[in-house]
Parts: sequence; structure tokens; C-alpha cells
Amino acid sequence: MKRLKPFAYFEPQTLLEAARLLVEQRGGAYLLAGGTDLLVRMKRGEIRPSALVNLKSLQGLDGIKPGMETGLSIGALTSISALEQSSLIQRNYPVLSQAAGLLGSPSIRNLATLGGNIGRASPASDMAPSLMVLTARVSVEGPEGKRDLPLEAIFAEPGKTTLEPGEVMTSFLVPQMDPHSGAAYLKLGRREGMDCALIGAAVFLRFSGARGEAKEARIALASAAPIPLRARKAEEELLSGSLTEERIQQAGRAAVSDSLPISDMRASASYRKEMIRVLTCRAIEQARQLAMGGIAH
Amino acid sequence: MKSEYVGKRVPRVEGVEKVTGRAVYSVDVDLPGMLYGAVLRSPWPHARIVEIDLAEVRKARGVKAVVAGKDFPFNFGGMIRDQPFLAIDRVRHVGEPVVAVAAATEAEAQEALGEIKVQYQELPAVFDPREALAKNAPLLHERLGEYVHTGPYQSVPGTNLCTVRTYSRGDIGAGFAEADELFEDEFYIHAVAHTPMETHAAVAQYIPAEKNYLIWSSTDGPFRRAKELADALRVTINQVRFISTYSGGGFGGKGAMVAEAIAVALANFCKGRPVKVVYTREEELTASQTRHAAYLKLKTGVRKDGSFTARQAEIIWDNGAYASKGPDVAQRGGLTIFGPYRIPNLELLSRLAYTNKEPAGAYRGFGTTQATWACEVQVDMIAARLKMDPLEIRLKNGYREGDAYINEQVMHAVGLRETLLRASREIGWPPSKPKPLGTRFRGKGLAATIKGTATPTESSCFIKVNPDGTLTLLSSSVEIGAGQKTVLAQIAAETIGVPLASISIPNPDTSITPFDAGVTSSRTTYHMGNAVHGAGLEVRRKILEVAGEVLKTEPGRLSLSQGRIFEEGAGERLTLKELLAKKFGGRGGGLLAEGRFSPAGSPLLAAAKGREGMSSIFWMFATHAAEVEVDTETGVVKVLKIAAAHDVGTAINPLGCEQQIEGAAIMGISNTLFEELKMEKGRILNDTLADYKVATIKDLPAIVPIIVETPHPEGPFGAKGIGEPAAACTAPAIANAIFDAVGIWIKDLPITPEKVLAALNQKKNEGGG
Amino acid sequence: MKILVELTVNGEEGQFEVEPQTTLLELLRDHFHLTGTKEGCGLGDCGTCIVLLEGKPINSCLMLAVDANRREVTTIEGLEENGEIHPLQQSFLEKGAVQCGFCTPAMILSAKSLLDQNPGANEQQIKEALSGVLCRCGSYPKIIEAVQAAGGRNKKGLGNEK
Repeated sequence: MKRLKPFAYFEPQTLLEAARLLVEQRGGAYLLAGGTDLLVRMKRGEIRPSALVNLKSLQGLDGIKPGMETGLSIGALTSISALEQSSLIQRNYPVLSQAAGLLGSPSIRNLATLGGNIGRASPASDMAPSLMVLTARVSVEGPEGKRDLPLEAIFAEPGKTTLEPGEVMTSFLVPQMDPHSGAAYLKLGRREGMDCALIGAAVFLRFSGARGEAKEARIALASAAPIPLRARKAEEELLSGSLTEERIQQAGRAAVSDSLPISDMRASASYRKEMIRVLTCRAIEQARQLAMGGIAH
Repeated sequence: MKSEYVGKRVPRVEGVEKVTGRAVYSVDVDLPGMLYGAVLRSPWPHARIVEIDLAEVRKARGVKAVVAGKDFPFNFGGMIRDQPFLAIDRVRHVGEPVVAVAAATEAEAQEALGEIKVQYQELPAVFDPREALAKNAPLLHERLGEYVHTGPYQSVPGTNLCTVRTYSRGDIGAGFAEADELFEDEFYIHAVAHTPMETHAAVAQYIPAEKNYLIWSSTDGPFRRAKELADALRVTINQVRFISTYSGGGFGGKGAMVAEAIAVALANFCKGRPVKVVYTREEELTASQTRHAAYLKLKTGVRKDGSFTARQAEIIWDNGAYASKGPDVAQRGGLTIFGPYRIPNLELLSRLAYTNKEPAGAYRGFGTTQATWACEVQVDMIAARLKMDPLEIRLKNGYREGDAYINEQVMHAVGLRETLLRASREIGWPPSKPKPLGTRFRGKGLAATIKGTATPTESSCFIKVNPDGTLTLLSSSVEIGAGQKTVLAQIAAETIGVPLASISIPNPDTSITPFDAGVTSSRTTYHMGNAVHGAGLEVRRKILEVAGEVLKTEPGRLSLSQGRIFEEGAGERLTLKELLAKKFGGRGGGLLAEGRFSPAGSPLLAAAKGREGMSSIFWMFATHAAEVEVDTETGVVKVLKIAAAHDVGTAINPLGCEQQIEGAAIMGISNTLFEELKMEKGRILNDTLADYKVATIKDLPAIVPIIVETPHPEGPFGAKGIGEPAAACTAPAIANAIFDAVGIWIKDLPITPEKVLAALNQKKNEGGG
Repeated sequence: MKILVELTVNGEEGQFEVEPQTTLLELLRDHFHLTGTKEGCGLGDCGTCIVLLEGKPINSCLMLAVDANRREVTTIEGLEENGEIHPLQQSFLEKGAVQCGFCTPAMILSAKSLLDQNPGANEQQIKEALSGVLCRCGSYPKIIEAVQAAGGRNKKGLGNEK
């Protein structure tokens, strides 16, 4: 069996306590949420925490509820399966349920948390792209107090967030989706089940009425760059006129130029680039159909 | 006569144990005083071991024993004895075991590895078997000439040529001259990992005073391992007792000593305490066994009417660092390159090369997945060029009942034709070229295979009748997961005339169950089945003899059915239980029969003089027909349906046959489309199941298993075998379906989206449209 | 430093003092001696370590034992009742959904969780629910049949939710 090496273990009762522990251990302490990434890295010998700080002993960090003014607030410890199955999410942000359902496997989803997935800061995060195109924000609490920031600002580099020592993500705020808008997330893997995104593409589109011109367009990509990436040139392309087939293809090509995928053992950079183009186009088409009220496959 | 059990969909006799989680696998064995092993492995593909410092590790917490190669300097190997238990002076592949540690807990053993210091001196390494065979390649085994060879394997000392085998028949030059067209193609098939869900695991105990070994393991051939171990350690088979557990899958990979070797080495130093060694998934993927990768060159001569005149084949097998079962794969497995086809002129050069990688060994098919890949894709290439239907060309050249195999053995029970017809009919033939759905194109393809079984081999069993009329079958056939026990129970129950539920089949134990050549080569139903059938007849005879004695009548007037004894004209007389009570009284007694079977001497094996060694007591045939959908934008190939037709002789258990057919088809899809060991300088990069991808339930296409029956004259109730052929046809069927869909040939495995896109682009650039 | 973990496994309460680095899988196999739950990879990629936590499947190799404190766990050994096997176990037997058996406990538990929520689950839903358990023997087709048969067998749900 793969056995974990020993560590000190804490169950803080307040966020302040958690923050204090993180600061005290000077980077040797890791936050334990779902454990599905953390325990894997520990067993693989990639990290050797001196301490684990179990966030699940804190109250109020999970759950999906209406936001302060509008939209939704998703607690950082909300499980991915709760996200996937929440009728509130399915009704109001189907793309989040769609993305959640593509992460890992059912048993992993029952353990994994949204905070854990975002905090892992993997460029392949399945949840990041769809949250980014919904312009989600993260609430953070630390020794210096509370703050919130756009989700994309959380990612510094692969495996690292921009959080200061002692800071903990507490919730994700997703603003309301306006009428005539739609969002889709597509993931390309090697097999149908349990796969890591070779490329992931999330697209959000809002139209004003039934006309063919997009008023808002956001595209975010997984595994296309060191961090989850907003494809800004592609977005500009989509906003530059009516959404013809040609414009969509242009946007797909622009997404490639926005990206910086690597070659690794899973795929070559050139294949990834080609798939960025293809997936972006397909996700745009799906988002458009959802925005127009149709059913996309 | 109506059959009670043969031909019935009998659920697994060990099924209740398995569905309740009580089945004991090697990893579940728990013994008093048991220690746990962990292994330090080589980080280098090829290096001299300069120094090993064990001073610190011996003092580490919980550590009870530490063993390096020098402490246990033996080689093992069932065919060529070239593999050390632990590397002695040199490491030959990344992951080779160097030092083993036994500790009171597994965590302590794993932790202790960090205290070991090894100094290596890197040596030049070779990873490509073609380069390994070239002049001046780094040499892996200087002592190749000195190793014991336990079979007719020709090695070439001073080189990396572990085994070379040539074969020819007829006149290859004349054969090519006769042909109207010549096809020369090169193929590559990749190494794959068996990936059983149960990793290799074993517990070993060495009793110093008696010099006896006890080993708990899920190896597929306990007697063969016992002999390999006895030979390696120069002890007798009596001193090596293998106790079989259930196996969580082997697929050939448990046909060599893997965890067993480490456990045995450690056990010698554990002062009589048992020690368990369980491979992690990483070790399973990188340091157990793989399938042989191979480069195959085929030159085939064909007349314009589609009949084959000649085939010249050259195969280079990538053996990895140690022989394992490679020599026999190269020796025998290569012969299936000629396919299930009548080809008068043949030539084969089969070479097995050592490379500095994880050892390759037996893998479901034993060379046939590789040979069938090349053979069957080329057949379709031939059909395409000749504008012939791929089904027609196979029917035209394919073996029929009574045809001679390449060594002139007359083949009986040849169901190839029926497998071709039924598989193609099920998939819908000929392919209809449907309109694409957007960028997705559909196509269909076929592939057929032939596989024999290692001949001759021995199987023995005992059947004992207990005082209460229940029976016990003592057989060394391991339940590797393919339904061995159930089939044997069915044969026994049917033959003897007792209820299936009254027969128990304990797991093998080489000190109790008699010799069996192993659960390999699709041989168990036939060989052990025949042994069980023979023992069953003998048990029945003895029961009726006792019944005659007790009932004071002629045994010839008696019959036994469902454990009840009937007399002609008098109906049921008594039960078996009552009979034995009457015969033995309160003090009890039992009956015993032996069954022993080998096909040696069978007239079915007659062949051309000097070539009888190539005969197989039965030949299995299969055809897979695949329907695929190719997304030309992403290169992703989706298998929509597989129609898999298998000629099994007689289906003793149709449910079991379906399980094997479906299972192998899925394994074939997985090997073809998802699995690849990604290597960099001899190190496998994707050593987890996240990145070494096997098919999940969501990847399942429609699979239609088709059982074809052509009863074998000497098989138990006409049965042959099934386990292996199922794995060979899927890859070429998919490749041929891709050609039908989008007009590209993929000649090297695996079939990846990148390759498909690259081939599509090339076709476009060449103006293929 | 050991921590006291109290949990209910298959309806029985148990108490163990464990090091924090002990996973639930280790607790079940090494301390409860319930070896029906397996380790196929230890990293959550194969599913053979799946157990039910208040009826929901989780990878026990990725959960710390301390996180199972005061929780209810069901392993494969907990499905029998009074010596009778569960309808799902019966179905797996009858439909030939068991070959080597190593993935069988995880498949059955995952299916139980599905059918307890959705007795009429269709093929797509069954595939999704079992997508995290690898079966190298390739018993997928018959596993789907077995789950469908068990679902059909008892449309009202499968008795006690454990």
C-alpha cells in the first residue's frame, strides 16, 4: 500500500486559528479540504507537509446560497458533487454543473471541494474556466482581514496561488447570468471516463435580444497556458461583429494565438493548439445555442 | 442425452466469495509475525553498482532484514536463467530491484528505503531493439552463453540477441515470382502493461531448519514457479510449496516470478517470519512485466485473384532487460504472422533483443496480438489494392476443416469461416459508406486470428469423494479470474452425475494438488478439463462398483445422476450419501480417482517429419468486426460496436465464454486507443493509472459476443479454449475500420488522435481529398 | 501522536487510536480487518478502494481516518443481512458480472448508492455512476446488465439504506 509519511495534525475552530497555524509552520503546513489532490501529491512524494490543517472543522465554509445582492455564493468547501447536483446551480449556472460533472469520477467528486480545486492552481482545473467566464470572484480571509478578487487573479503559476501566507479562500461569488446569455464548457481527454483535460474550453456569450451580435463574450481555457487563461483576442474577435461561422472560426484561431500550451507526455503543443481552435469553436457554438434558448449537445 | 451442466450458463462457483468481499487475494494474506517488504530500485537504465551502503538502513525503525543482490546472488528464469533476484553487480533497467527491506510495518519498510545509499556508474544504454541488435550496441548480458537455457532457445552470446528463430517452408523466391503483386510493409506494435487491478503481491516464508519455502501468490503457474525457484536455488520441488490465492487478474503478467522473487529473497533473512511484498501501482506499471513491443516486416506475394503465394516475415521483439517468457514468444508466437491462411511458401526470421527496459513477458496471446496486428492490417491493404472485399479475401485464403497447418498437421475443428461470416453479418457487411455527421465519419473493418496452445503439456488432478457424498476436486489450475474453477466443476459434475454444488474446489497448493503446467496458453478447459473428465469417469466407475457391491447387483445396471443411484427397471435406489454410509459405516471412508492428461501421442498431432513440434492439439479461431467513428477535426476515434466471433469448440459455459470475449474486446480497444507507456531515457513517465489510461465503463461500445462451436474430437465435450484469441483481433479491426471511414492506414500502435490527424493531413496534402 | 477515531462500520461501532496519516482504507483493512476493500493504486485513479460514506461512494485511499470520525461507513462486507446476500450481489452473480472479482466490491457499492437514489437508473446513468471503477477483466457489459436487473428487481429501492 502507498502509506503517507507522518505529519502534525490540526483541527482549527476558527479561520484566525487556521491562519495562525499556516503562518507558524512557515510554508510547511498545508490546508486539508477534500484531500483528493493533497493526499495524491503526498503519496507521490511531491510534497512532504510538516502539518495538515483540516479546514473541514470550520463551520460555514460549505453550501450554496444566494449572494449578498445577486448571484450565488458557493462556500469553498462545497463538494464538487454538491455543485454538480445542486438544483440551484443546474437552473442558474448549468455550465458549472456541466464542468463539475466532468471532473474526475463520482467518488472523487464526493470528496473534492471547489476551494481545493482552485487552490491547487492547476492549469488543467476543470472548474476554473467556467467560473472565469462567469466573472466569479473569490472571497479570501487572512490575518490582515477579508478581501475579494476576480478568480483569475488567484492563479500565479502552476501549483501556486497569489494568496498571502495565512490566507484562506472562503467562498466564490458568481454574479447573476443575464437573459439571452449562455455558457458551455467542453473538455477533451483521451478516454470518456475519469480524464484530465488535455484542453478545456469555457465560453460565455450574451446577446441583446434575438440579434446575432454578442454583447458580452468571454472565453477561458484549461491546459492552454501555465494558468487557466482568458483568451482575450478571441473574445475581441467575437465582439467585433455578428456571430457568423467565419467569425467563430476566426475566434478559434485567435484563441490559439492567445495560448501557450506545452508539449508533455499527454499531448504535443501542436496538437493542443489545434484542439484549442476546435474546442473553442465548438464551445462558442454551444454557448450560442444555449443563449438563444436552444439545446446544445 | 440432455446435459445437466455442460453448455449451461452456470454462475461462478467462487462468485459468492467474490461478491461478498471475502475472496482472499495475495495482498489480503495476513499471517502471524508477518513482516512487510519494500524495494529500492534502480534509477538508471544501465549502470554498474559501485557501492551499496546499508549501515544506516539496518538501524532504521522497525527494520528486521536488509538484502542486496550480493547477499542472495542467484538467477532465476523459466526459459533462460538470466534474472537476478536482486541486482548483483549491475542494473539493466530503470526500476530493477537493488535492495529489499523487511520491517514490522509497511510504512517503516518504505521509510527505511531513504536510508540506503547506492553509488552507480552509468553505462551506455540501448532502448530500441533494432539498435540493440546493431554492431557495437551496449551489451546487456555478457554471460548469455553461460545462462541455463531450459528450452530450444538459440541465443547469440556476445550480442543482445536473446533468442533467434528461423523458419521456412517451400521456396520463398519462387513464391514471390508466382505472385502478381508484392506487398512490403512495416508495422510497429507498442508495449502495453497488463494492468491487472490486483498488483503483483506475494508472501514468502523460509523455514531455515527445514530449508523449506512457503509462498502465497496469485501466480498463474504454481508448479512452474516451484520448479523455477527450485532450479534457481538448487533445492527440490518438495522444498518449495506454492499456495495459490485468488488472482485479481493476470493476463499473462503473473506468469513469471515478480513479487515472489523479492519475497523469497527477503524471507531467507527473516528468521522464519513470513514477509509480504505488495507492488504499488507504480511498481506494477514500471517494474513488473509488459507485452513485447515489436517491429514487424511483412512481404507478401498475392495473385490477382487474391490468393496468397508467399510471405516473408521479419520480427524484432523488444524483450526488455530479462528473458522472462520472451524466448518462447519469439520461438512460437511469431509463427502466427502467417495468419489463419493457406500460404505455401513461408519464411520467418524472429529475433528477440535485450534492451534496457522493463522486462517483457507473456501477455494474453503470447505473440499473437503483435503478429495479428501486422498480418491483418496488411490483408486489408492487399484487399484495397486488389479492389477485393476484405471479407472475401479472408474467406478465400482462410483455413477450413481438414486443411493442413504450416507443418502439415491436419487441423480439425476449424471454425474460422463461421467466425468471419457471423462477425461480418452482425456488424453489417459490406460497409455502406454512410454520410458523415459533420466532421465525423464512420467505417467498418474486420480482422481474424489463429492461435494454438503449447503442445504437449500435462495436467493432473484428483477427485475425492468424501464420506457424506460431497466431492473435492484437487487441481493446480489457478482461478485467474477467467472462470477456470467453474468450467472444471461443470465438467466434473456432468461426468460423474452429481450436483454441481456438491463439488468443492480448493485453491491450488503444490504440496497437495498434483502437477499442472499452468493457466496459460488458453489450455485449462482442454487439458485440465480432460484430466477432470478422466478422473470423473473413474470416480463414477468406482461409485457404481461400490453401489453394485452394496445393492448386490451388476454395476452395469446402475447409473448415477444428481447424486442419486438408479437401477435399470427399479428406479432410484439410494443417494450417494446413503451409499457411502452403508459402505463405510460410522467410521467413514472415501473414494479417490486420479486424472492425468496430456495430448502427447495423439494422432491429431501428426505432421511433416521433424516438424511435429509445431503442432497444436487444438487451434482457436476468431474474427472481430469493428464499427468506428472518426472525428476528423480532433482525430479522436470512437469505437461504436464490436462483433466478436470466437470458435471455442464447445462452450462448456456460454456465460463464461461471453465474459472472456467481451473482456478481451475491451482490453483490445483499450490497448489500441488509450494505452501507451511513455518513455524518456528508459524511464516510464506515466506510472499512474491517471496517465496510463485503461478503458473505463464509459468507453464501452456495443459488444456482441458470438460463440461459434466446432466440436473438437478430443476436447472435453468438444471444447477447445478461449482466453487469448479474443485479445488479438480488435486492434487490426479498428485500424481497418478507420481505413474504411477516412482512407488512412495506421501501421503503428497505439492509434492516437495525433496520428490520425497527421495521417489525414498527409492524405490531404497528397491530394487524397 | 495518536488520535481517537470513533466510527460506525457496517452498523457496528468501532474505536481506534490512529496516527493522523492513517487513511480510511488502512483503518478498514489493517484495523477492522475488512479486506474486501482493496488498494488498486492508492491515488484515487482506479476506484477499488471505494466505500460508502453515509451511502455515498468515496475513495477511501484519499480520506484520512480522522475525517471518518463519527461517520457511517459501509463496506462490501456490510451488504449481507442475516446470511442473505443483497439483491445486487445476487444479480452480479447471475448475470456473470464477476470475473477476477477485484473490482467487484467497488462496483457493487457504487451501484448500490446509485440504485438507492434512482432504482430505475438507465444505462447512461449506470455508466456515469460506475465511471470511477476500473475493471481490467472487462466485465463492464455484464455489470451494467446486473445493475439494471437489480434495479428492476426492486423498484421501491433496495431496503435499508446503510
